[in-house]
Amino acid sequence: MKYTTFNQKNNNPLTEPMFFGNPVNVARYDQQKHQIFEKLIEKQISFFWRPEEVDVSKDRVDFQKLSDSEKHIFISNLKYQTLLDSIQGRSPNIAFLPILSLPELETWVETWSFFETIHSRSYTHILRNLFGDPSSIFNDIVENEEIKKRAADISKYYDDLIFATQLWQTLGEGVHTISGCSYNITMRELKKKLYLCMNSVNALEAIRFYVSFACTFAFAERELMEGNSKIIRLIARDENLHLTSTQHILNLWAKGKDDPEMVEIAEECKEEATEIFLNAVRQEKEWAAYLFKQGSMIGLNKEILCQYVEFIANHRMSAIGLGQPFAIKSNPLPWMNNYLNSDNVQVAPQESEISSYLVGQIDSEVNAEDFGDFDL
Amino acid sequence: MVAIKDHETVQHKAQKTLLESIELKEIPVHFHCREGYCGACRTKLIKGEVEYLTFPLAYIDDDEILPCCCYPTSDIEIELA
Ligand code: FES
Ligand SMILES: [Fe+2]
Ligand SMILES: [Fe+2]
Repeated sequence: MKYTTFNQKNNNPLTEPMFFGNPVNVARYDQQKHQIFEKLIEKQISFFWRPEEVDVSKDRVDFQKLSDSEKHIFISNLKYQTLLDSIQGRSPNIAFLPILSLPELETWVETWSFFETIHSRSYTHILRNLFGDPSSIFNDIVENEEIKKRAADISKYYDDLIFATQLWQTLGEGVHTISGCSYNITMRELKKKLYLCMNSVNALEAIRFYVSFACTFAFAERELMEGNSKIIRLIARDENLHLTSTQHILNLWAKGKDDPEMVEIAEECKEEATEIFLNAVRQEKEWAAYLFKQGSMIGLNKEILCQYVEFIANHRMSAIGLGQPFAIKSNPLPWMNNYLNSDNVQVAPQESEISSYLVGQIDSEVNAEDFGDFDL
Repeated sequence: MVAIKDHETVQHKAQKTLLESIELKEIPVHFHCREGYCGACRTKLIKGEVEYLTFPLAYIDDDEILPCCCYPTSDIEIELA
């Protein structure tokens, strides 16, 4: 089915499925098929922040105090996060927008992706402060084998869905031969690709950041690189919200609250979905090994980080009905919670003296008496 | 009263969230956001009723609650994850 930017059919968005129904026409939020996405948009927008408002200048001094192995850990994590947010800043838009059917979900995806671009911009802010010219760091992201390996695994599900969608939207269902390769495009196959892609995105938002977060907060526990830590806290808060959205999508499907065919697909692809998650867990553990290959850092080592990944994975896999495959029961890094807790994210822009934030607060309370002797 | 499977029973404190009441007894409950949007505190509600003062955003199953932002409105029985 050809994509249209304004579907002229007067369809009822309250009866559309999340994906592969009619393309969205009117961007209206007065009614929602799935209210949760409207709530997520509101919450995400309330989290708005700008990297430039976080003062990272002290980090430059701290960075010089780090050992070589600690510098490797710090920089490698930023590179990996840069990769993740590079992918997330565009892919939900490109993969999901052309096949979405609900206005509230469409805007959620756009809002979500927009915040990923804020994350990307914050890495430039952090690195520019440390190096002046961070080109060599960015250039290495497409050279570094450890990072490339992860990039390939994350982008393949997106790319697969995007390509199949393009074929479907230009040629329709059927077997199509493109450059000597044949592709069988059916609605069922498209939905399967979407399901697997959503699982891969869910795993990304659920655990792929956490080794890196743990290192950042371990530096902060030693009062090092605190500007960076403030930024990462804001990012972690956003990532938690993104995860919530993918968990909702997967559960709406699995529990038959959206497209009935997705119930079957969820059942059919359960093993593959589990494998996607477990593969992400394995890669995160390998990442921990790579980080610590030149030596560890105070407060963290490879083993404890791997345990933490398993601990987080248990929670997040059970949230989408994949059980708790790891034996670990208690949190090996309890201090992490202090950084993931939104009460402590007090670097909120409203706090700083930036006038653009204060303008809206001035005199928004106007009482009737204020107009007492005001005649029209 | 809040009966917690495999733990001692906790007295719910007025004005406190269920999570805060449980923490007073130093029973470890997993949490991140403490604001209802991450799902880290997801807990099974076996018996009783709770209410939310803000909309709980995180995904929970029909028999689950978010202790970080809910308040019991009756005696309850829960099972921590
Ligand atoms: S701690 Fe985040 S939802 Fe309860
Ligand atoms: Fe991000
Ligand atoms: Fe994200």
